[in-house]
Amino acid sequence: GSPGELNPPIPSLLSPTVTSEQIEHLHRRFKQLSQDQLTIRKENFDSIPDLEFNPIRGKIVHAFFDKRNLRQASDGLADEINFEDFLTIMSYFRPIEMNMDEEQLDRFRKEKLKFLFHMYDSDHDGKITLQEYRNVVEELLSGNPHLEKESARSIADGAMMEAASICVGQMGPDQVYEGITFEDFLKMWQGIDIETKMHVRFLNMETIAHCY
Amino acid sequence: VLAALAAGAAEARATSEGQLPGAAAMGTGTPPSPSGTAFEETRLHVFTLDYPHVQIPFEITLWILLASLAKIGFHLYHKLPSIVPESCLLILVGLLLGGIIFGADEKSPPVMNSDVFFLYLLPPIVLDAGYFMPTRLFFENFGTIFWYAVVGTLWNAIGIGISLYGICQISAFGLTDITLLQNLLFGSLISAVDPVAVLAVFENIHVNEQLYILVFGESLLNDAITVVLYNLFKSFCQMRTIKVIDIFAGIANFFIVGIGGVLIGILLGFVAAFTTRFTHKIRVIEPLFVFLYSYLSYITAEMFHLSGIMAITACAMTMNKYVEENVSQKSYTTIKYFMKMLSSVSETLIFIFMGVSTVGKNHEWNWAFVSFTLLFCLIWRALGVFVLTQIINVFRTIPLTFKDQFIIAYGGLRGAICFSLVFLLPPAVFPRKKLFITAVIVVIFFTVFIQGITIRPVVEFLDVKRSNKKQPAVSEEIYNRFFDHVKTGIEDVCGHWGHNFWRDKFKKFDNKYLRRLLIRENQPKSSIVSLYKKLEIKHAIEMAESGMISKVPSSGSLSEYHEGKIKPLSPTEMENMREILTKNLYQIRHRTMSYNRHSLAADASEKQAKEILIRRRHSLRESLRKTNSLSRERPVLA
Repeated sequence: GSPGELNPPIPSLLSPTVTSEQIEHLHRRFKQLSQDQLTIRKENFDSIPDLEFNPIRGKIVHAFFDKRNLRQASDGLADEINFEDFLTIMSYFRPIEMNMDEEQLDRFRKEKLKFLFHMYDSDHDGKITLQEYRNVVEELLSGNPHLEKESARSIADGAMMEAASICVGQMGPDQVYEGITFEDFLKMWQGIDIETKMHVRFLNMETIAHCY
Repeated sequence: VLAALAAGAAEARATSEGQLPGAAAMGTGTPPSPSGTAFEETRLHVFTLDYPHVQIPFEITLWILLASLAKIGFHLYHKLPSIVPESCLLILVGLLLGGIIFGADEKSPPVMNSDVFFLYLLPPIVLDAGYFMPTRLFFENFGTIFWYAVVGTLWNAIGIGISLYGICQISAFGLTDITLLQNLLFGSLISAVDPVAVLAVFENIHVNEQLYILVFGESLLNDAITVVLYNLFKSFCQMRTIKVIDIFAGIANFFIVGIGGVLIGILLGFVAAFTTRFTHKIRVIEPLFVFLYSYLSYITAEMFHLSGIMAITACAMTMNKYVEENVSQKSYTTIKYFMKMLSSVSETLIFIFMGVSTVGKNHEWNWAFVSFTLLFCLIWRALGVFVLTQIINVFRTIPLTFKDQFIIAYGGLRGAICFSLVFLLPPAVFPRKKLFITAVIVVIFFTVFIQGITIRPVVEFLDVKRSNKKQPAVSEEIYNRFFDHVKTGIEDVCGHWGHNFWRDKFKKFDNKYLRRLLIRENQPKSSIVSLYKKLEIKHAIEMAESGMISKVPSSGSLSEYHEGKIKPLSPTEMENMREILTKNLYQIRHRTMSYNRHSLAADASEKQAKEILIRRRHSLRESLRKTNSLSRERPVLA
């Protein structure tokens, strides 16, 4: 690539937790995926062989182009992303720092959960409705040919009911549960410490990068 | 105990004269008739007492009964187990008993025979722990656990051994006859963290799973190192010259012991899974295979002087995955219950025997040795954990905080394993054996009593993260799976071979080959689906038990309701769906008791539950046929 590409602008979210070495790694990977172009499109993700077996492949790729994740707009999909956008998405998966205080940790956690929330909420209306949930469960179980569609739907329904009971508690007979909002989503993930689990270590990529 | 009792029984037989050897050999209950003269006839005995005949099984039964009654006694006063861990109370009971026997007989009470401990009492506990181990968490932390187990134990053993040797050199203490090798051997046997003690103490304090798995995993894996070091130093003590080749042999031995044990365990685990594939005609003996194969793996490993604990743990973890799907529900419940029962009894017996064996004449008290042993154990453990954690934190994604390190160091409890190992020392080579025994007992008592009792207040004081035993929820399972896939996907995108990569590879291999071979009806099971089914059945059972069988439609029938409708759904249909959802929300989901080592969730009959589900669906179909329109009326409620 051109010398100008060696020092890409580092988004402010990343520093100081990502070292320049890691950014170099990611940059190299970006260049592979984009085939030395400046931007990546959705088609470029087809070149990753292992991603094909992933049942929620579509949602993952979609997440890279989601303008909400890229912090560009509250809706819509970008057609292509450059390296800065790529880093922005990767920043959702950085590991936790030892010296973070409570407020930082909380913000950290909210960011990560927001990323996941956007993956569920495909129509970008800020709520996970029953249909969207069903869609998620169907995709998750799509790898299993023996499973009927009915089971997937009933599972989604059951999960939705659980969500409603956690978020709203006892509901009156005429109340209707619209969908899971982000606050409800936060409540459901309360017990699980996502900030420690949701990270990828960008350490061991040297060997793999040469394989492709 | 068996050996001692057998000796006693033999004695009794030898002294009671007039018993025909034939009658004794046949073991019949015939009354003894005098040998020799045929003229003196005894009349027919109406009532006889033949204690020696049943002595051994009788005494075993009495011991086990006593142990179980003691347990009941503790739980009568419900506050007691939360303040004082059961292990302490059991040791106290043992001490009491030992005192009584000693006082009554003026000879040392039966000392816990090391063979009995290692061959009969220890395996059930390890099997139970290995079978119910959270494998995912274990493998995620495997590196750290291995690091602590191997390097940590080595550090402790050598550290304690050398510092004790330094103390022994001081002639004022009268210990100069203990050689360096003897000290190293002593260090190696006392540095091992004991799984039984850890289980007994950690069980009640409910720290978060991460901490628990680190301490507990360490206590299991360090068996390999302990076995190697113990045998190594014992042979060194008996050899006259030590060559460099012997040290290399020792290192090679470690690998063989550890890896060999694990391989035996995995192999027999696969054989067990394969066997259960064909047992669907004789369900009754299914549980037997689980126990037999795991015990076989333990004693096979012990036969080759490999690590039996690692073998049985590997076997249990392997079996758990496949056997669960092959056996019937009832067999599975039987296995769980029986395993818990065996391990509970074993643990109780171990602690009581430790108490009993303490009383007696095999002690030699030496203030310096004993107190410095205790001191060094604590110091080296704390140092070791601290230093090792600094190193391993570099490689860990979730670094361990000071609180975690403190709990890990504090949770390094010693127990029955070092107790038995010290009794196994050959007295010819170790003239000061009694001193070692005393020191070991003091350390064990200190860790079990002081650390065991105070760990709960310490955990609360440090505000360590506790485990939250929540009801398993389908939505949580969905989230977890979703999250796994997201993480795998991102790792693929940035080309990173992480944990998930290996886990995925293993899962593919598993599905392709292993499951086809080992599982009878092989349908790729989704954890979400099986959890959902389990919860549905449990929900139905709860409803039946509380008498709340209503005709509110189950969620499972929502799909039938919408069969044949044109997509996309019209707004009225969406409204109805929402309606039905909210009706279902009326049902209060009871929370079952959280899983505990000593109790299992209530089990009800499957048939009844399935019937309830069928009835629910049937009733909904009926009510829908009657209404036959997309009205806003409520479905029929009970």
